[in-house]
Amino acid sequence: MADPKTSIEIISPSIEEAVSRGAAELGVPEDAVEVEVLDEGKKGFLGLGNRQARVRMTIRDDFEGQPIPADRSGAVQPEGEEDEVLVVTRETVGELLQRMGVEAELSAYWGEKDENSRLVPLHVDIHGSDLSILIGRRGETLSALQYITRLIVGKELQRPVGVVVDVEGYRGRREQQLRQLARRMASQAVERGKTMTLEPMPPNERRIIHIELRDHAQVYTESVGEGDRRKLTIIVRS
Amino acid sequence: MDELIEYIAKSLVEDPTQVRVSTHPRHGEVHLELSVADEDMGRVIGRKGRVANSMRALLRVAASQRGERASLEIT
Repeated sequence: MADPKTSIEIISPSIEEAVSRGAAELGVPEDAVEVEVLDEGKKGFLGLGNRQARVRMTIRDDFEGQPIPADRSGAVQPEGEEDEVLVVTRETVGELLQRMGVEAELSAYWGEKDENSRLVPLHVDIHGSDLSILIGRRGETLSALQYITRLIVGKELQRPVGVVVDVEGYRGRREQQLRQLARRMASQAVERGKTMTLEPMPPNERRIIHIELRDHAQVYTESVGEGDRRKLTIIVRS
Repeated sequence: MDELIEYIAKSLVEDPTQVRVSTHPRHGEVHLELSVADEDMGRVIGRKGRVANSMRALLRVAASQRGERASLEIT
């Protein structure tokens, strides 16, 4: 698959609505896309038992114009079997969201390998309105969605896959916040000459702070406590 | 909501034919009971209950999208 992205999966109450939103997301007119209906959905009675429609849309090979995709330039997209991972992962997230009754658009792309991981992460971004319910308190719902997705995809493909699921850029924003918090708390620790203890945080968030302060000349970091209560402390070097 | 739990469970177990999800109204919420083959229990519970708790988190979203509350028990 070439960059910019030429295929997308949409979950929406109706097929018509999914197609119009998908075309907009791909940045092409509706007649420039090939539509594959993955699930027609089902109208229930008084909102009970209804299921949303799910379609996959691909820009036609003979489309002459220039697609204007939403963003995400510079994403690397390995070829061949990596495309299988991308398709399976996006489908899995779609299947889950559909059954959760969440209306959303999905885009998937390959990220950059980070220094602490063996796997090149596949990012699945979820777009839509009013999706804070998918993030949850301290990102717990998003973590659950990501974890279940990894398990399902890993089982289907018989190998571990590094999947990062994000909602409307939440992870990036949260990372920035945590880095700022880390620097601010480190300065306070130094000024006051005492250990600063942060609120309990999930492992991925503590990791961001550990890394941010790894090379700090005057403080080091340590996690204390167990499970849900585990929190990070910033300690002044003696 | 049962569709969600059934989909996840069937995707994770070795024996999908043994996956059963039943729903029961209870104390104003929907109570789901999931059963799987004995050998698959670990796959739907996970270490320290991580898989089960993740399923509960997603179930919470599914329920609140319908203005309901739900709980999940693995039996």
